[in-house]
Amino acid sequence: MNFEEEYMYEDSGNETSGDDVDFGVEADGCSHTNIQAYEEEYQFEVLSTEAIVQHMIDCIRDVNTVVQIPSTTTRILLNYFNWDKEKLMERYYDGNQDDLFKEAHVINPFKKQTTPTKIKSSKKLSGTEECDICFMVLPPAEMTGLECGHRFCYQCWNEYLTTKVMEEGVGQTIACAAHNCPILVDDQTVMRLVKDNRVRFKYQHLITNSFVECNRLLRWCPSPDCTYAVKVTYVDSRPVQCTCGHTFCFACGENWHDPVRCTILRRWIKKCDDDSETSNWIAANTKECPKCNATIEKDGGCNHMICKNQSCKADFCWVCLGPWEPHGSSWYNCNRFDEDEAKAARNAQEKSRAKLQRYLFYCNRYMNHMQSLRFEHKLYRSIKDKMEEMQQHNMSWIEVQFLKKAVDILCECRQALMYTYVFAFYLKKTNQSVIFEDNQKDLETATEMLSEYLERDITQENLIDIKQKVQDKYRYCDGRRKALLEHVHEGYEKDWWQYSET
Amino acid sequence: MANIATQRIKREFKEVIKSEEVAKCAIRVQLVDDNYTELKGEIAGPPDTPYEGGNFVLEIKVPETYPFNPPKVRFITKIWHPNISSVTGAICLDILKDQWAAAMTLRTVLLSLQALLSSAEPDDPQDAVVAKQYKDKLDMFEKTARHWTHVYAGGPCYNQEFADKIKRLEDMGVEENQARVALSSYNWDLERATEQLFSS
Ligand SMILES: [Zn+2]
Ligand SMILES: [Zn+2]
Ligand SMILES: [Zn+2]
Ligand SMILES: [Zn+2]
Repeated sequence: MNFEEEYMYEDSGNETSGDDVDFGVEADGCSHTNIQAYEEEYQFEVLSTEAIVQHMIDCIRDVNTVVQIPSTTTRILLNYFNWDKEKLMERYYDGNQDDLFKEAHVINPFKKQTTPTKIKSSKKLSGTEECDICFMVLPPAEMTGLECGHRFCYQCWNEYLTTKVMEEGVGQTIACAAHNCPILVDDQTVMRLVKDNRVRFKYQHLITNSFVECNRLLRWCPSPDCTYAVKVTYVDSRPVQCTCGHTFCFACGENWHDPVRCTILRRWIKKCDDDSETSNWIAANTKECPKCNATIEKDGGCNHMICKNQSCKADFCWVCLGPWEPHGSSWYNCNRFDEDEAKAARNAQEKSRAKLQRYLFYCNRYMNHMQSLRFEHKLYRSIKDKMEEMQQHNMSWIEVQFLKKAVDILCECRQALMYTYVFAFYLKKTNQSVIFEDNQKDLETATEMLSEYLERDITQENLIDIKQKVQDKYRYCDGRRKALLEHVHEGYEKDWWQYSET
Repeated sequence: MANIATQRIKREFKEVIKSEEVAKCAIRVQLVDDNYTELKGEIAGPPDTPYEGGNFVLEIKVPETYPFNPPKVRFITKIWHPNISSVTGAICLDILKDQWAAAMTLRTVLLSLQALLSSAEPDDPQDAVVAKQYKDKLDMFEKTARHWTHVYAGGPCYNQEFADKIKRLEDMGVEENQARVALSSYNWDLERATEQLFSS
């Protein structure tokens, strides 16, 4: 449904009865196997925190079977390459290895055997070393450090790492405690030197988090408080479902938004967040004085407007926005609508207003479906009662599941509809876009009917009739949804869709 | 206070006292309380700068987590400098923020501050008014800084013109320090300083 057809649509509520019409798009029919296949192809795995850690270890091991360097060094290198093994290998074999280690802030493991570690501690007394942090003079066994040669006592290391982890929240990129030394502290060293379990736990959490966030093939489930991450084999805009039940787009992390694409959705969300749209809304219901641009609201029937700005007080006509004076006594009816001066003033205002009204049209529908979607969660509860009631009337648990399925499909349809308005907002009018809008209209009508039926009518009918009717309705909805999505996908493949800047 | 912090400060305190800079009267530290959480630092204005001949007092607060976090330092002596607030004495210096390293000491801090007096960084200002004057009217900046050094830090250079202008404002009932800030901020333009003082 598009903006222009709004009123036509609102008058046509009885266009489709839906009940007994068979459109040949049964939910489990075989005419849409290509969509099914399209959805099944995408492999993903939900990982718990423990599984993420294991995956991290596996990644390091994979690299180490090829590259013979300490696993602690491998981890730092991998992190530097955002856990892209191929990129690391490529640089490792094609580029200058010395530069690579330097960039990643680790000591070249092949160099350190040939050049003995120089002890940089300035005041080295015979048989003892001084810690540059606490100034204690200690036997070398109580001092430790990284390959850069900066050595500090165990207690100072513990304190230093604790401060970094607990106060600054740094995990993967803690540098040596010496001034201006970029060499990174590897994870085994951190775990060896930190004593407090709280700190160790936080540290592990920090490196797991940066592992997931740096890694293109992993994404945390965006649901609040959920600790799972989803792992894929290649990045794509596809739905993935977390163990917690939340379904989201792997590519952008938003709720699954078929048929609109991530980039368009991002533009839309940014537009909705933009405050200037709200101020534009005010503009749609007011006009600006053509002389001083002060905002004026029409408060009565008279078209003779006098600007409220005391230093302007311009007289103009509300209808044509031209100066009032030439209107003379014909105040009741503006006949100067086509005068050039008035035209120019009007055009400028109308352009932005039409644009805004168009935006509001799509935005309202998008919001409506979003809100309804929230209400459907309430519906799950009332449906549950209904299901219990039916089970007391000799229907088995299996037999009453169709009700839950109906609400599932209702939610899916609403979600798809919501995003069709984002898609449509940016869509340029073509022959295919007209077909899309027809599909959208069909789906919207069917969805609203299913919604109404589940909310109200269901309580008034006898239990035996209900099942058949509900099933007919949801199958029809599901069919319309799939047809719409398939059409949009086909358009993506065949390059039908053209977008406007809006 | 944590064990390491106390030990460190005790040692550093001794180190500064014995250092050659103290012998040359360039830097100094004193204890303010017995538990080493607060110290008073002093640095001499470096030669060939508007701060020459002045003695600048610093407040040094040692955090519980020292030396893993930097000490909190500010100027007690009023000073006219792009990287130091002319009002609060707060300092903009990287080693007192993210560039701090545990192996740095009070001595390195005091010497770095002394170096800051020799070479200001107006592009990373703490006091925007001073920084602007430094960039636009270096000559005016130096005169002003020298005047402040004389008044607040015991520097040698007396400026009759500036003193007269402050006196004029004092006669109008403006407090001396306030008059100095206003005049300094407006390049010693008496008229504009007056306007600013009486407009608010
Ligand atoms: Zn130590
Ligand atoms: Zn180091
Ligand atoms: Zn989840
Ligand atoms: Zn997406």
